[in-house]
Amino acid sequence: MNSFNRHVLSAAVSAVLLGLGGLAHAENTIKIAVAGPITGPVAQYGDMQMMGAQMAVEQLNAKGGVNGKQLEAVLMDDVCEPKQAVAVANQIVNDKIKYVVGHLCSGSTQPASKLYEDEGILMITPAATNPNITHQGYKMVFRTIGTDDQQGPTAGDYIANQIKPKNVAVIHDKQQYGQGIAEEVKKTIEAKGFKVALFEGVSKGQTDFSALCTKMKSANVDFVYYGGYHPELGLILRQCREQGFDAGFMGPEGVGNKDISAIAGPASEGLLVTLPADFSADPANASLVKAFKDKNQDPSGPFVMPAYSAVQIIVDAIKGAKTEDPVKLADYIRKHSFDTPIGKVAFKENGDLKEFQFVVFKWHADATKTPVK
Amino acid sequence: MLEFFQQVINGLTLGSIYALIAIGYTMVYGIIGMINFAHGEIYMISAYIGLITVTALTVQFGVENVPLILLFTLAASILATSAYGWAIERIAYRPLRSSPRLIPLISAIGMSIFLQNYVQIGQGARDLSMQPLISGGWRFGSDAGFQIYLSYMQVLIAVVTVIFMTALTLFIARSRLGRACRACSQDLTMTNLLGIDTNRVISLTFVLGAALAAVAGVLISLHIGKINPFIGFDAGIKAFTAAVLGGIGSIPGAMLGGIILGLSESFASAYLRTEYKDVVAFSLLVLVLLFRPTGLLGKPEIEKV
Amino acid sequence: MPRHFFEAMLVALLAGLLTVPILGIQIQVEGINVSLEGDPLPVLLAMAAVFMARLLQVPLKAVSGVMHITRRVPRPIHLPTAYRLILIVLVIVAAAIWPFTVSRGAVDIATLALIYVMLGLGLNVVVGFAGLLDLGYVAFYAVGAYGYALLSTHFGLSFWECLPLCVMMAAITGCLLGFPVLRLRGDYLAIVTLGFGEIIRLLLNNLDELTGGPDGIGNIPKPSLFGLEFARRSSTEGGTTFHEFFGLEYSGADTVVFLYLVALVMTLLILYVINRLIRMPVGRAWEALREDEIACRSLGLNPTTIKLSAFGFGASTAGFAGAFFAARQGFINPESFTFIESAIVLAIVVLGGMGSQIGVILAAIALTALPEIARQFAEYRMLIFGLVLVLMMIWRPQGLLPATRPRLELPARAETL
Repeated sequence: MNSFNRHVLSAAVSAVLLGLGGLAHAENTIKIAVAGPITGPVAQYGDMQMMGAQMAVEQLNAKGGVNGKQLEAVLMDDVCEPKQAVAVANQIVNDKIKYVVGHLCSGSTQPASKLYEDEGILMITPAATNPNITHQGYKMVFRTIGTDDQQGPTAGDYIANQIKPKNVAVIHDKQQYGQGIAEEVKKTIEAKGFKVALFEGVSKGQTDFSALCTKMKSANVDFVYYGGYHPELGLILRQCREQGFDAGFMGPEGVGNKDISAIAGPASEGLLVTLPADFSADPANASLVKAFKDKNQDPSGPFVMPAYSAVQIIVDAIKGAKTEDPVKLADYIRKHSFDTPIGKVAFKENGDLKEFQFVVFKWHADATKTPVK
Repeated sequence: MLEFFQQVINGLTLGSIYALIAIGYTMVYGIIGMINFAHGEIYMISAYIGLITVTALTVQFGVENVPLILLFTLAASILATSAYGWAIERIAYRPLRSSPRLIPLISAIGMSIFLQNYVQIGQGARDLSMQPLISGGWRFGSDAGFQIYLSYMQVLIAVVTVIFMTALTLFIARSRLGRACRACSQDLTMTNLLGIDTNRVISLTFVLGAALAAVAGVLISLHIGKINPFIGFDAGIKAFTAAVLGGIGSIPGAMLGGIILGLSESFASAYLRTEYKDVVAFSLLVLVLLFRPTGLLGKPEIEKV
Repeated sequence: MPRHFFEAMLVALLAGLLTVPILGIQIQVEGINVSLEGDPLPVLLAMAAVFMARLLQVPLKAVSGVMHITRRVPRPIHLPTAYRLILIVLVIVAAAIWPFTVSRGAVDIATLALIYVMLGLGLNVVVGFAGLLDLGYVAFYAVGAYGYALLSTHFGLSFWECLPLCVMMAAITGCLLGFPVLRLRGDYLAIVTLGFGEIIRLLLNNLDELTGGPDGIGNIPKPSLFGLEFARRSSTEGGTTFHEFFGLEYSGADTVVFLYLVALVMTLLILYVINRLIRMPVGRAWEALREDEIACRSLGLNPTTIKLSAFGFGASTAGFAGAFFAARQGFINPESFTFIESAIVLAIVVLGGMGSQIGVILAAIALTALPEIARQFAEYRMLIFGLVLVLMMIWRPQGLLPATRPRLELPARAETL
């Protein structure tokens, strides 16, 4: 090791990192960072968020923007990795962007939200449902989606009051989201005196569930709640039905994706799903749904409309509060209500929605759903 | 007891797939002593090609004859995937033939990342799926009690696996090229000196490994019916574990390792907890290596001075 | 030239054939209907790219050939010790002043890079010096991170109190895991460590009561400066924060810069320790073992102890870096400790040139900065990352800055006897 090398090193480091620092842009636009996974295994959920937010930006710009300024969506890829999320958050602080729509995964939202809180950046997540995110006492953090502890009890109550099963299995995917909901469901149904025979985790990306199906079948399980996303549940349904295990199944909004019918086929018939009310079926959103369809996009994903709404809330707050200061906007948002595609929304002190209705749907093999209850 | 048999069936099906992929690792390792980390990606690509071919045949051309679809898909996938195996060796490993052991390993990791993202750009990150081509099966046991279910697909997987494994074993044992393969695995330089084109043999190894991975890929896209660009990684690590378990470099070892791994995962799910099945699989690997460092059927390494 | 041209055409044609099924045909899943869609454009683009690459390969090879030659020439830069010291001090001062002049995003990425520098330096001891291939290095990183997270959240210990404890924990884990496996040779060792890495990650994910499972551990405190916190408000009653103490306005950038400086100090400490160690008998023994185990044994060195010391030292460095990582993140869960992390650290060591510390530092910075620079390419980011790894291995298998050490070789004897 010689000192010449060291010198070259420091020069190279400085050059590379100075280049990364980025240049300041002229401020004729209002930038909104949309942070979520653009690449990686959960990119398909990121797409929903990006799609919704971009549509909102386009439509609001077409209506003349905000106070004569145009909006600009800055897409930031965090790959749903906590490490990258912190880097993205720092980049956002760095670029002096004052509003964030995101992040998507609870695991990356949590470390990033700390930074936004410290830096006075307004964050609205349209997708992260883990209760902890809004339980930190943060002032700058909001969400336009319900939480796991709202959704879990809805599902648990339905199971206890309507299905009244003898032997329940609660399965989850060992991820923050899935396990969180599954635990809420377990708590709710056990409180009502039902027995949970099996409480187990599968792993993300697992494809063979035949052993689990056999286990549930031989334990005489007659109802299964699955906390997680659709790819795993789709396969569980398919493989269990094939083995002749015909218990009822139920899952959270993460499974309410058209792809589940593509994966499970006829086995997806009769699956129960708790979902936010289907905003794309709301007649008030007809023109918006048409706009998505015109762009060949699917507006029925669970995070599309919440992402759209998040952008709209930011814009409405800027107009209403007549300021662009995020800290004042956060106060304004907390005190007012907004008309959005997900309905009229108002926020609690901690940033959660005052009301967010989860509805139980029955899923059909042709990927349609009908509300029950 | 009945569910025990069902778990054995589950484990054997899973194990067959692992075994098919494990062959690719074991052959490459046996000949050039390199862990081909991109092999899982080959399997993933073959699953895509399988899915595309089946979709093309059934949706685009309306073919309904199941055996015909099956044969054609296998052929198409083996062909295309072998080409990938060959190309990867040419691009990423051949220029590194004489480098220290670690260099091709890093190149393979790079290739693996590249291929994952390449497929993601081409086909999107979302899960693709298709409906089972072959459904139905046999049920054993009384209607009232626990019924064992053996699907046609599971039988097909076992049969196809056995056919290809036998073919490979015969090829290695009997054919001229197979002999050359065995010679290369013993001493690459010496084989070269004896006038055998070792580059060709190494290419062949990659092609054969890829072909078997292609069979696994097609079977998985028919059986599981859900693929995404990231399935290669998990399957790759598992298959690699299977190869090591059985004794890396040994073809029967790869089969044995695959089956043992499949069974142990099934039993861990059944009699422990599902979340511990991977812990069990990896612990098994560590234990076997500690007490029998060359795997179950591997030849003991002779220390040369 | 025409020959190259035709060759390039041929290769491009092959590339076209290969890419048709993946890039040319897309499966469209619309609800439950599956259909195929053909699009020749990506295939043509790929073919064009391959064609150009192949065509340029010849001139590129010529260039790298020149590089090859220059590399062989020994560099006669042997500065006197005094100059060396001055240079080292200058570099350190520059690295310490630098964060005050750039944006916080850059400083944050530099901090991340320093974490990888620490990991790279630690693994370099195991792989580069002692020649033990460790594919589960991330396990010790996780032990350090969870160690700090648990100690601080359960027992309220500060970062500086936890740091030595984390290092010890990681070293003990390293020795415990290392002891049974180190008698394995070469690749078997690699595989067993890979297995251990996965087992530790799975355990972290499954032992919910202890580690919070997939929820991870949140609200991990950041390091403080002699008890001064970096926060808008103090977390403890009556505590003083950094900006209050110095009467400054609160700025989040202070935290980022402070974290960077902490990482810098930690990195320098590791560098110092390693540089001492490799000049000590144990360091010499590591390298001797890498070169020839049998010769080592015949000289009365105990290979197991030597391997264990290298393994344990590497593990403790990872634990050191892990504790800092937890502090920087403020939130950790098992997703941060996957196999790919081990692979990247290994890539850093190999890319830098095994055994070369400057090389490892450079490679760590390059591999952290590369995905950030490539951020503008969005989905092509990781594609480029993978490609660069492959190409670097082909063009510079010895690493960016291979370790050079004085060596004497016996002159080849003429074989006339």
